[in-house]
Amino acid sequence: MRTFLLLSSLSFALFVGIILISSRLPSPMPEQAVEGKLVWQKHNCISCHTLFGNGGYVGEDLTNITRKETPSQIVNYLIKPPVVPPNKYTHHPGLAIKDAQNLVHYLEFISTIPTLGWPPQKEKAGKES
Amino acid sequence: MKLLSFLPFLGKTQKPVVRKQQFLAQKISRRYCFTAVTLFALQSVVAVTGAIDLVIPDLPSPIPFEFGRAIHLGLADLWPLIGTMGMVYYFITAELDREIYSPPLARWQYWIVVLFSLAIFTSLSFKIGNGREFLEGLPVLYMGICISLALASYNLIRTLFMVKNNITPAAAVMTVGIIFLLLLLLPNTIFYSNPITDEATKFWVVHLWEEMAFELTSAGFIATFYVVSGLADRAKVEKWLYLEASLAVVGGLYGTGHHYYWIGFPAVWLVIGSLVSIVEVIPVGILVHMTYKGLKSKKNRSRREKLTLWLLLSSVFYHITGASLLGLLITIPWVNLYMHGTYVTSGHAHLALFGTLGFLVLSGCYYILSRGSEPTLKGYKSGVLAVILLNVGLLGMASALLAAGLKESYLWRYLGMDFEQVRLQLNLYLFIRALGGAVFALGDLFLFWLICKTWKQTKLPKR
Ligand code: HEM
Ligand code: HEM
Ligand SMILES: [Fe+2]
Repeated sequence: MRTFLLLSSLSFALFVGIILISSRLPSPMPEQAVEGKLVWQKHNCISCHTLFGNGGYVGEDLTNITRKETPSQIVNYLIKPPVVPPNKYTHHPGLAIKDAQNLVHYLEFISTIPTLGWPPQKEKAGKES
Repeated sequence: MKLLSFLPFLGKTQKPVVRKQQFLAQKISRRYCFTAVTLFALQSVVAVTGAIDLVIPDLPSPIPFEFGRAIHLGLADLWPLIGTMGMVYYFITAELDREIYSPPLARWQYWIVVLFSLAIFTSLSFKIGNGREFLEGLPVLYMGICISLALASYNLIRTLFMVKNNITPAAAVMTVGIIFLLLLLLPNTIFYSNPITDEATKFWVVHLWEEMAFELTSAGFIATFYVVSGLADRAKVEKWLYLEASLAVVGGLYGTGHHYYWIGFPAVWLVIGSLVSIVEVIPVGILVHMTYKGLKSKKNRSRREKLTLWLLLSSVFYHITGASLLGLLITIPWVNLYMHGTYVTSGHAHLALFGTLGFLVLSGCYYILSRGSEPTLKGYKSGVLAVILLNVGLLGMASALLAAGLKESYLWRYLGMDFEQVRLQLNLYLFIRALGGAVFALGDLFLFWLICKTWKQTKLPKR
């Protein structure tokens, strides 16, 4: 019994330690990106989209969206949200312009985080070009 | 009424039997279990609505999909939590054969966890939340859940100290499980600006609650139940329990690595995650072996025990298939690279979270709530019918999700097709999933009905 308790607490402490070391960011996070993260959370974007592949399955993964579309394209999409297919009337949720800009900063920051070659199809596109 | 009489539920489903003296803690655990089963019934109704929302365009709904999904995920963690709290009190009292340290504290704990859980669901339905997957409610509300877990930990530790020299392994393992639930939830009550830390910490609940803390509480229940029902003798069960507990802690902890592959962590986690996940599977294999031998040896059981066993065996089945084998397959980094973040994950999530943990908690809750009664043949049949519907529904739902996920992985991740185009091709699978969900919900409501009747019948007059 004592061994089990000791084992549990030691493994847990070690585990927390390596996680703290592992989660260092590649560069400091800009203020606006932090604001953008709050916007992301407030509107519950994760229910439909994934970041790093974790989240909902309705919408596209947004980890690298800022590499495919320009900031102004994304901001425009969010402040004047279009109808999402296959719906005929239902629009994508919309944001105020300030929020949309901060959010794009957050997504730009996300795309700078190295993900060890995930998602795979990005790698393929890279090889072709 | 005549029309419905083919349903075995109508009429008498339970007959009373004399019961032994009951501890206060066991009486209190009934309200935990009953609440858990009720929330489970609510969950499948919410879920079917959500699944239909996904396949019918422009479906009007009072709660938008993104918040409905949040409520579904909140329920997925919280009803098993509430049920587990009840089970731990019940089976610790049974194991130690004495009252817990403080029954009033257990009552307070109940009200706190229920109020804060309801607050999470209510605020989410008003679109107020914190947008972290599985923990979508406001952080303060999770503080409330932590308070409840802290009360539970304190109460259980004091209980163990009262018996000092007669602590049984099952009692100790369940207590450690509850303490871990608390420790793992606490860091999730604050805001992280760092997205990597945020993601890593989230999996302390998404993975470590299920694959470590609940694994410990479940193991305690399985051990106690196997001894009581004569499926295995105490010595054998306790040997397994020690192994299971140690491997669950070590394997569970470092196995979290299988969620850390692509979130910005160093590559060493690919190695840790994939190797340690293998360790997670070992105790399940032994459990299956032990169960198999136990089932072959003893034949005549009461109907109440048999119904509990149907639920428990379902859990063991999904533990080895949907959780362990499928989990191990998608843990392989080369596989995970392609199917990560597709519907395959969702298929595994349903098989593992409901299949393993959900069935187990239902089994414990049924056992506790039916104490002091014995199902009539009718009641027993309706219970079995409910279990069959739940299984058929779950398998239908999960196979559709896995098929959708495989197609999605191939077209989108492997061939690199456009996401929107691929998604439109998945509609048929999602439709079948919704059908499976409906069957599942039907089974859920049947079981809820049966348990309601049982609960009413076994209620003791107020003293
Ligand atoms: C009772 C046991 C288990 C439960 C309740 C469970 C539950 C879950 C859930 C809910 C998810 C989805 C997480 C998300 O959406 O982000 C998940 C993902 C995953 N599980 Fe399990 N699981 C169990 C056992 C296992 C085992 C034993 C393994 C491996 C040996 C495993 C490997 C995985 C992997 C690799 C993923 C990530 C899928 C992805 O990359 O998207 N699971 N699990
Ligand atoms: C009537 C039965 C059910 C139906 C129809 C259903 C439907 C759904 C739907 C529509 C989603 C959202 C998927 C998406 O984003 O596209 C979901 C996610 C989820 N559900 Fe269920 N569900 C059911 C039962 C359950 C039960 C009983 C549990 C656990 C106790 C559960 C746990 C989960 C989890 C963990 C996720 C997140 C999956 C992931 O992120 O991979 N569900 N479910
Ligand atoms: Fe996991």
